[in-house]
Amino acid sequence: MAYIHLDGVSRQYGSVWAVDRVNMAIEKHEFVSLLGPSGSGKTTLLRIIAGLERPTQGRVLIDGEDVTELPPHKRGVAMVFQEFLLFPHRTVYENLAFPLRMLKLPKGEIEARVEWVVGILALRGLETRYPNQLSGGQQQRVALGRGLVGRPKVLLLDEPLANLDRELRQEMEVEIRKHQTGLGIPFVYVTHNQEEALSMSDRIAVVRGGRIEDFASRADIYDRPKTAFIAQFVGRSSRFEAIVAGGDRRLALRGDGILIEAESQPGLALGERVAAYVKNEKVRLKPAEPGGADAPNALPATVRHVILRGAYAEYVLGWSGGELIASRPRSEAEFAEGAAVTAFWNAADVDLFPVSEPGR
Amino acid sequence: MKGRVAPAVFLGIPTLFLAALFVLPLLSMLVLSVWRTENYHIIRDVSFHNYAVLATEGAYMTFLMRSLVMATAVSAICTLIAWPVAYGITLYGGRYKLLFTLAFAVPFLTGEVLRIIALQGLLGPLGLLNGVLLALGAAPLRVIMYTNVASAIGLVYLYLPIVVTVIYLSLLNFDQRLIDAATIFGASPARAFFEITWPLNLFGTLIGFALCFIPCLSATLAPRFLGGPNGTLYGMAMAQQFGESGTWALGAAMGVVLFAVSVLLVVVAARLVDLRRTGFTGFGRG
Repeated sequence: MAYIHLDGVSRQYGSVWAVDRVNMAIEKHEFVSLLGPSGSGKTTLLRIIAGLERPTQGRVLIDGEDVTELPPHKRGVAMVFQEFLLFPHRTVYENLAFPLRMLKLPKGEIEARVEWVVGILALRGLETRYPNQLSGGQQQRVALGRGLVGRPKVLLLDEPLANLDRELRQEMEVEIRKHQTGLGIPFVYVTHNQEEALSMSDRIAVVRGGRIEDFASRADIYDRPKTAFIAQFVGRSSRFEAIVAGGDRRLALRGDGILIEAESQPGLALGERVAAYVKNEKVRLKPAEPGGADAPNALPATVRHVILRGAYAEYVLGWSGGELIASRPRSEAEFAEGAAVTAFWNAADVDLFPVSEPGR
Repeated sequence: MKGRVAPAVFLGIPTLFLAALFVLPLLSMLVLSVWRTENYHIIRDVSFHNYAVLATEGAYMTFLMRSLVMATAVSAICTLIAWPVAYGITLYGGRYKLLFTLAFAVPFLTGEVLRIIALQGLLGPLGLLNGVLLALGAAPLRVIMYTNVASAIGLVYLYLPIVVTVIYLSLLNFDQRLIDAATIFGASPARAFFEITWPLNLFGTLIGFALCFIPCLSATLAPRFLGGPNGTLYGMAMAQQFGESGTWALGAAMGVVLFAVSVLLVVVAARLVDLRRTGFTGFGRG
């Protein structure tokens, strides 16, 4: 039996189902991300696990106990909020000691545990400060410390890094994951940022319109998207529309001036409209060859812009049907703006979805 | 240049305002309090005679004590009523929050005298309340007939809207999600209130308390119309010096004493309350 169980959980606001029949099972040592665009219901789902919202239907089980009717303070969970929500009238020490005081731990134990958290989160020297005397990153550490100090059954994190700048965010990602592994408690992490989800999670649940689109390992979510929405939302990719033109082991697809070859997929009939997604980093580049444009998965194009992203260069390519982006390591041959190139990719890297599905 | 003009204007105007309309009158009171009045004439002999009168004639001390007790009781009652009212409005007022708060201030649309007279009609011997009691064959409530209790009811009625508004504004600024945080970390709703909500709104509550307390000290109308024979309060006695008895200098001395007492109370309160502990961030980043 999994450690956390969501059993047909739904939440209705007026006539809208913010969360719609969600089933999830989370294991004790897992780091799970709820990834979705804003308004998808991921935060509501987190607040239902916390007990801050009551589900309209369904049950929530934590550690074998049905907590659906339990108020938050009896659930033994902890949370890190996007806005930190540190207690402004309490010092760093007192903020960290708060969950422990509520647990009615003896004074010595409280001091020892706060000391432990101050140590692992590098908060030493800040104990007597008030939250408004801290930088954003320091406040985030205190918020995380307050979440960890009581050794909760589960730590819920609601976009905790959204208010931090990029560099600090990446630092914190490593740190958060480290503490999760160290403590061996499940973390449920809400984010709209796929990079955060991919960098830390064991499994990712992609949330859309109150429903779980897919709940799978991060590699599966990234490499084998189950729906067009996931292909669109996770990773960066280019999209082509085409019609299934034939083939058995490999499907041939014909679009406007493009011939795509993809691995065969059950359920796609001849003549069906499909959307094909190719991730930016799967698109490779070579100098254009005169007259050789008829090969499948090869596209004559012109480099319009080059965006440098440190170790990677992003090539914005113009072709007869629109734009396409190729993300290449800087160690490869570089192309200048205006260069004529051929963009190409492997059949295995094409993700196909029928267009009848509302894709975009 | 703009960098110098703007602060001069924004801080200068209030400074001028305070100097012209507060400091100067106060100084004139101070001067007047060491002069004398005889037969409606001011005599410019400097002496502390007026203060000696206030210290030695027991009545003034009685009035002051009675006023202090009255102001404390009225402010406490107002705060106790205002808290749940203001909290209820912020929690359940929805889009009509502001309307509810403003509705509470509707009595201000009429004059203070009118409101007190109306209350007299309600609480007096022949008033509505006792009239109904008598008609039902019950004994009239003597405790609300020209007593200090009646005065207190009148003062609560007068100042409650102010206290509600101030506490409401404080609660409006208060981030309710901090309560979410407190309950997540194991605080029951009652515990969360005393750990988070109350201290973080203490500053606002104290301002509300003070805005009721200070005018209660100098209240004249409520004791005069509702207080009865034993209901003379300090402010009422002070007003009489400037009116019927024409002893302006003594009245000025009473005013100075009142001001000193008020300042003393504010200083004591400020000493007792650590603003940091109320989440007050007006010090800037330190």
